[in-house]
Amino acid sequence: MKTHTVAFALSTLISLSARAELKWEQTMIELHPTPTDKQAIGHFKYQNPGKTPVHFKSVHASCGCTTAQTQKDEVPPGGSGEITATFNIGDRTGTQVKTVTVETDEAANSKTVLTLKTIIPQQLEITPTFVFWKQGDKPDPKTITVKVGKEFTVKHIKVTSSSPDFQTKVEEKGNGEFKIDVQPQETKNLVASTLTIQPEDSQKIFYATARITNSPVVQ
Amino acid sequence: MRSSLIRQILILAALALIPGLGEAVYFRQKISWQSSIPPSELVTVDQARTWAGNVIWVDARPDEEFARDHVPGALSLNEDRWNELLPQFLAVWSPGKKVVVYCSSLSCNASREVARRLRKEAQLSDVFVLEGGWEAWFKKR
Repeated sequence: MKTHTVAFALSTLISLSARAELKWEQTMIELHPTPTDKQAIGHFKYQNPGKTPVHFKSVHASCGCTTAQTQKDEVPPGGSGEITATFNIGDRTGTQVKTVTVETDEAANSKTVLTLKTIIPQQLEITPTFVFWKQGDKPDPKTITVKVGKEFTVKHIKVTSSSPDFQTKVEEKGNGEFKIDVQPQETKNLVASTLTIQPEDSQKIFYATARITNSPVVQ
Repeated sequence: MRSSLIRQILILAALALIPGLGEAVYFRQKISWQSSIPPSELVTVDQARTWAGNVIWVDARPDEEFARDHVPGALSLNEDRWNELLPQFLAVWSPGKKVVVYCSSLSCNASREVARRLRKEAQLSDVFVLEGGWEAWFKKR
């Protein structure tokens, strides 16, 4: 009886170790693009240490903003390669976690989720990005706060209003913080303005919107 | 005889644990996850339809998907072109209007992100995520 048990245990362990399976160098990659980068690219490297070839059945990204490509459809025994995941940064901010699901014909673990974590540096944090007055409101100034990201140094910012209906005034608060006071000339007409906020010595432009809206809908 | 049987049961149980422990240690990152949305920030297709006339539909999907088809009257607002599209959305927004954001399906994340940015950055209230996204709306159209 003891011999049977040991034989069973050994056969289980051998069968587990002999199965064809891709060995991934890492299934999570963290990327730190620069503020001007348009894309962040992760290379997920793999190897096939098994004795049979492994075929990719599908490679699917979790979001339309990410594409993933395999170099080949079949990985021979002993072969290696990589899956390239490209994340289009667009106007995204903060930490972005996107996944790529890889499906193969492996007997076990046929699905692998690769995670691409992209930390997008934020030069300026603007709150709120929208200020509004209801038609007929008193045209008091409203404040937009601008905070400079930890890894950046910005001493001055330039704010421009696309419309003369709104005036802006910048106040430097120190410690990487600015206050922008936005004030409409009057609130009779439904007008809007795009405020462009630009740090000195930087090509990057940030936006906020100021608007006179119509009154709330009465239910 | 009895102790031998118990010992074998224990050995088999321990062996059965090996693959499980292996999965837990080596494949921890294979679990996909998605942050949950508080129920108060979710809305069903039926509920959103009762807001007709007082709702702005926001399509958070990429441009190509929006161009293919979208909820009638919906505005495109995705993070690929956030800076360009946000002023267009804000031009039609007015206080008291409810905003319903959708993406492709139940599993997509774009609508959550767009709704979060509208609440946090633009500081709008009454912003909801459509449960089931475009798929759910399409089934019930």
